[in-house]
Amino acid sequence: MAVLRDSRLLSGTPRVAFSAYGYLLFFVGTVATAILAREAEVVCVLLATMVFAGLFSSRSLSLLLRWQLWVFVLPTLALSPLLIGKRDVLLWGLMLSQEGFWAGLWMVTRALSIALAATVFARTVSVAQMAQLFEGMRLKGLGFALGVATNVLPTIQENMDTSYQAMRLRGGFRSRRLHTLKLLLVTVIAGSLRRGDDIVWAAEARAFDPAQSQGQPIAVARADVALAAAMGALALVLLML
Amino acid sequence: MRFSVRELVYIAIFGAIWGALELTLGSYLHVIFPPLADTFLVGLIMAFLGVIVALVGRHFVPRTGSVFMIGIITAILKMISIGGVQAGPLVAILAESLLMELGLWVARKPRRWGFVLAGALAIAWNFFHKFIMMYILYGKGVYDVYVGMVKQGASLFHIDASYALVIIVILFLIRILAGALAGWIGWDLGKVVRGRLAR
Repeated sequence: MAVLRDSRLLSGTPRVAFSAYGYLLFFVGTVATAILAREAEVVCVLLATMVFAGLFSSRSLSLLLRWQLWVFVLPTLALSPLLIGKRDVLLWGLMLSQEGFWAGLWMVTRALSIALAATVFARTVSVAQMAQLFEGMRLKGLGFALGVATNVLPTIQENMDTSYQAMRLRGGFRSRRLHTLKLLLVTVIAGSLRRGDDIVWAAEARAFDPAQSQGQPIAVARADVALAAAMGALALVLLML
Repeated sequence: MRFSVRELVYIAIFGAIWGALELTLGSYLHVIFPPLADTFLVGLIMAFLGVIVALVGRHFVPRTGSVFMIGIITAILKMISIGGVQAGPLVAILAESLLMELGLWVARKPRRWGFVLAGALAIAWNFFHKFIMMYILYGKGVYDVYVGMVKQGASLFHIDASYALVIIVILFLIRILAGALAGWIGWDLGKVVRGRLAR
């Protein structure tokens, strides 16, 4: 019903080797193996995740170039020798902890593996397929709701910004800040719901039925089974080590 | 769970509002307070606002599953956002919405105490979330790491390590109270928004 602005909905998945279930399995499997891996073993998990990303969703590797990622990684690496473990090494006039350094490094490696796997899932599985995955769990109409949400999100963000600036310029935050915040929230919600009424009328005018599934159900591919076997074997090896 | 078109649109809108808060304020706060340095404030603020939005949403879609649907939509919007995928907030949003649903299910009908219970349960998750995410990120030595951090915190504030437990209990209670307050505000705000729309 609603036309999503996200190009992934229109373009579909870039590769057809795995179904949406396969990529979901990859994400869940990576989280599980990252938890099971001890210390340096987690480097193997990260390498495996990077190889998979390189082969099946090379665009996902651009995550490593994002400054937002490094804003998380660098402070974690810098703070862990100061916050974790006994400080036993003097470096550049600072007492640091070796244990903390390694704990921080493995933590960052784990986080990178999980973030990369989640990015692969987000990049390869379209918004419509994500909605279908949830609709398969008896959440009917989620695809439609997600489409509407994606469409109204920029408008809501703009509405929030405009309302905030208007209240700030009128001196709303100088006194009774909580009351102003409450008014801001009421304004944003009421404005968005008014816009929502237009969407309801448009959908009902086109006789939209949320009970009917939007699109073809997702079928499990052979590659998904092979992936499940590979991830299971990796988890087993990590458990036995 | 079957919702009407109007209910689905309202669910979408409340999911988008929560998502917009996460994408703007949430990302901003996470940059200012890195996860390892801040273990309390950011999660509490975002959960507090999220709970209010989701519970106001429940006013407009008073059916089982609506808050969970709002949470799923928020989580997906967060997942496909420009800022990239962060596992922590995704898990937190889904868990909080499930716990809110549990609290509302206990109350059966929309009642103020049901909203308060739902809010308290949702933000209580914030406390356990830290342990779970630390387990995922730190690995199996989480207990040792946590004990080490408590000891360091105790020495930093010049208090006995045994009081650390008291501090942890107080932090947990603060979350419960914040959640209850969010539920209380959500109940009131829902009525205010309804009144505004009726004008």
